[in-house]
Amino acid sequence: MTFTEKQTDPTAPTHWRGNMQADYLYPNGVAGDKFFKHLKNNDNFLATVCPDCEKIFFPPRLYCEDCFVEIPGENWIEVPATGTVRLFTTATINAHGKKMETSKTIGLIDIDKTDGAMLGIIKSSEMDKDLLGLKVKAILRPREQREGTIKDILYFEEI
Amino acid sequence: MKKDVAVIGGGMTIFRRRLKETGKELSFLAAKMAMEDAGIQKDDIDMIVMGTAPDAFDGIHMKGENLLDGAAGAGKPYVRVFNGGGTGVFAPIAGWWHVASGVADVCLVVAEEKMGSCYPHPQTAFQHIWDPVLDRPLHPNLVWLFAMEMNRYMTVHGIKKEDIARVAVKNKRNAVGHPCAQLADPNITVDDVLNSEMMAWPVQRLDISPPSDGAAALLFCSEDVVRQYTDDPVWVGGVGWNIDSTMWTNRDLYFPRYVAHAAKMAYKMAGIVNPRKEIDFAEPYDPFDYKELHHMEGLLLCDKGEAPILTREGVTQRDGDMPICPSGGLLGVGNPIAATMGQKVCELYWQLAGKAGKRQIPTNPRVGVGQAWGDIMQMATVMVLKR
Repeated sequence: MTFTEKQTDPTAPTHWRGNMQADYLYPNGVAGDKFFKHLKNNDNFLATVCPDCEKIFFPPRLYCEDCFVEIPGENWIEVPATGTVRLFTTATINAHGKKMETSKTIGLIDIDKTDGAMLGIIKSSEMDKDLLGLKVKAILRPREQREGTIKDILYFEEI
Repeated sequence: MKKDVAVIGGGMTIFRRRLKETGKELSFLAAKMAMEDAGIQKDDIDMIVMGTAPDAFDGIHMKGENLLDGAAGAGKPYVRVFNGGGTGVFAPIAGWWHVASGVADVCLVVAEEKMGSCYPHPQTAFQHIWDPVLDRPLHPNLVWLFAMEMNRYMTVHGIKKEDIARVAVKNKRNAVGHPCAQLADPNITVDDVLNSEMMAWPVQRLDISPPSDGAAALLFCSEDVVRQYTDDPVWVGGVGWNIDSTMWTNRDLYFPRYVAHAAKMAYKMAGIVNPRKEIDFAEPYDPFDYKELHHMEGLLLCDKGEAPILTREGVTQRDGDMPICPSGGLLGVGNPIAATMGQKVCELYWQLAGKAGKRQIPTNPRVGVGQAWGDIMQMATVMVLKR
């Protein structure tokens, strides 16, 4: 009976070895295109303001998901590349269960002057301390090296 | 107690090979159009159904969850349904049962597909739908499979290729009146189709609909509240779906019996006894030109092998006795898998509500049937709308 056998060698049952190869070009979208083009040439961020509820979306969006209205072009605003750490964790084991050579602290950063937040790597002089509420700024790639992607934001650093 | 269900709004984005919008943005644009058509706000919508086909197209696992905020789904009862190419008609069927069951008065259905993300071609994603042990090691391609089915259909009935090519010509010409169309062509001829690039005999380039990005949306509403939105509703007459074995190797492919089973289910619900007389027009699934013919027969709109003859005689033209694919179909408007709800069910609504513009069938149709098809030649989904 298969179900009672203790199977320790995954290649022991007769099999065909396959994979699911697929490659992608993920469009940034209408809002994302504007956001990333701005990021490439500026040191601050863009956000959008819902014309009905005035919620400020960061990252900017084409529509308000609550009011379900389109956000017009005049409702795009510039906001500083700074924020506050709302959540964080420090990872010491990677996705394969192995000990990482250097730990990595990631957090959710509430972006100033918006109702939005983003995931970011956090670097602080005192990594052992409680980072909640820490004021941080985005450290961007040197402008000539930017490509207009999320990777242009290297990490967030304590102000 | 089952509720009668009306369609009160429809929306559809432009269809193109690669659009700059994200799937969420496409969903928003289609949903917003349907809501404006119906005169309805997000607060008026009780539940949402998302129809979207393999995750591998958009390249986002659990893409239903990714798309939901663009489909007015944030903070609402929301579910994704998916059965491959059948999704374009199955999503509205799910919208219908949300309302017919009485759990929702108003249900928004959004259908989205972003095939352009899968690069360089979404055939990469299709390669993974086969049996991993029996078929995939031989690297089969869907075009090869459908070429064999087309060949079988032609061989059994003695059908000439030119009679199949007429379908591509009709649909690409019909699409000229469609604001979303990707491959409309007012001047295309049968010779153009017959002279197009051979891909896998007997399938040539112009026999096939193109991969597309796009979205469509529909609003379903209960008989209890429909008068708030319209005095002249279009009703769901019946729904049906059926799936055959994935072991396509063990079936005779000349006739899609699963389509006939789904059609009979829908016709019984709609009280249709003689579909050829009682149905005024149809939107059978036409990803390939021969599939329109195959599906007309599966939908019991003619005898087996008769569909090419009706097409040659002009019966299926927009001003013929049985207009078929007045939208322009997948061949003319495009084939973003689930979003073909735009041609297969939105078009029924627009034709019956007199909102089809340049595509309007001139004979005041009262009953239409739409159908989608998918998986490894096994899934059929059918919806009848009526006035």
